Amino acid sequence: MSKAVSITVENLSIRFPVYGADQRSLKKHLARIAIGGRLGTKIGSSSPVVAALSDVSFKLAAGDRVALVGPNGSGKTTMLRVLAGVYSPDEGSVETIGKIASLLDLSLGLQPTANGYENIYLRGLIAGLTKTQIEEKTAQIEAFSGLGAFLGLPLKTYSSGMLARLAFAVATSVDADILLMDEWIAVGDSDFRDSARARLMGLIEKSHIMVLASHEMSLVKGLCNKFMHLEHGSATPIMPIEMLDEFLEQRHAQRVASAA
Amino acid sequence: MTDSPRSYLSGRSGFGSDLREACGDFLSSMRRWRLWTSLAVHDIASRYRGSVLGPFWITITTAAMIGGVGLMYSQLLHQSLAQYIPWLATGIVFWTLISQMIVEGCEAFVSSGTIIKQTALPMLSFIARMVMRNLINFSHQVVIVAAVLIYFGLWRHSNVPLCLAGLVLVMVNLGWAALATGIVSARFRDVPQIVTALVQISVFITPIFWRPESIHAHRFVLEGNPFYHMLEVTRRPLLGEPVNPHSYIILILMAVVGWAIAFALFARTRRRVVHYL
Repeated sequence: MSKAVSITVENLSIRFPVYGADQRSLKKHLARIAIGGRLGTKIGSSSPVVAALSDVSFKLAAGDRVALVGPNGSGKTTMLRVLAGVYSPDEGSVETIGKIASLLDLSLGLQPTANGYENIYLRGLIAGLTKTQIEEKTAQIEAFSGLGAFLGLPLKTYSSGMLARLAFAVATSVDADILLMDEWIAVGDSDFRDSARARLMGLIEKSHIMVLASHEMSLVKGLCNKFMHLEHGSATPIMPIEMLDEFLEQRHAQRVASAA
Repeated sequence: MTDSPRSYLSGRSGFGSDLREACGDFLSSMRRWRLWTSLAVHDIASRYRGSVLGPFWITITTAAMIGGVGLMYSQLLHQSLAQYIPWLATGIVFWTLISQMIVEGCEAFVSSGTIIKQTALPMLSFIARMVMRNLINFSHQVVIVAAVLIYFGLWRHSNVPLCLAGLVLVMVNLGWAALATGIVSARFRDVPQIVTALVQISVFITPIFWRPESIHAHRFVLEGNPFYHMLEVTRRPLLGEPVNPHSYIILILMAVVGWAIAFALFARTRRRVVHYL
């Protein structure tokens, strides 16, 4: 690779049109045209819009382990999805250099009626692997999940713990330069939890950039070296993780002050 | 996850760049053929998992329908079985392909919603998944057509190329229809209901069971029905009957205009489909 792994986000804005129940009906849409007037506060055919991210800019380079922190609905998951390429920016730009692995939803694409091996294959294809790459990984997923002969059975026969093991083993079998994670995903019984943790740490060490969204402050302090705080879709500049406590205290003090 | 190590996404910058991105989507969808083929195979496999005959249930139910309808309607229409069964078998099999693609096209994006909302996979791969699934279904039915034509002594190898050419023309048309209805249905959830109703009506006004030659008055209902032309260009060559050239002309025009509109719609809405779901 000629260029180093990096993420460059410039003036990024993401807006979600909300297509609510009253918006989706074609009848309403046509009725509005037929009547010609504009009822309610909505203008024309436009749907209410939620600004999920507004004017966010940052740059990440190899070695950055960034925590996205902020309250629910602040835009953390949206940020991860934009980096993963799910949402296209409404304004601004996102450039990523490096192979991205997004561990956003472990159960992505798992088919309950298919057996373990078929699911490993399908997930591999979704992740963009070739047939031979998937075959190489299958043995290692087999060993790590510890599911043995169960991999030949359909997923609907699995317990939720077994399902979690398979999902975790498949999701973490990737080689990635950039790792996107929504919450810490170690799962399973206590034995598995330890090996899952070790595997995830190995994955994080191999990756060049990690972006982790989490509410667990002790966790992000252990894993990350930088953080970015999001609130109502606006982001703070990226700061070193050592400032996290101080920042959150200030934030809290501000809120108390404004409430008083 | 992305194909290439570098990805650059930015805000909309005019229709020209929308079109370029839509073409890029098309090319990368084609490169991911293994993904949508596997998803399509899995769709079929999961539908018939646990049943002894598996997808050959499609073959059996179609054969039963042709047999039952054939025995009754041949009398209604005063035709011998040798005249009627080949006509009926080709009609039902091609009609099933056409109608299923139209109906399932509405769900192409909606049914893949969870994957679309989590990954950056090219959008047209979900249309390709649906097309592939229906072609697999079709392959389980087309054996009946072959068997019927051989039995009644109508099978000619030399008829196959023209039928295949017609089939390609039909598939090209169904492709744009599925893309357009897939997008519109994701946005407006009433549309699948409308489309299903239209397809149900079409069963009766399209010459599947009867011959268009029996229609003398109100021919415009026939001529204005695109499904009629789709059946003409696939079924007639296989039966060794001549096709009226105007059916080809209509289908080619429809393909050109339809793709232009559907692709423009796709280019315009590609980024927003994920929000519709």
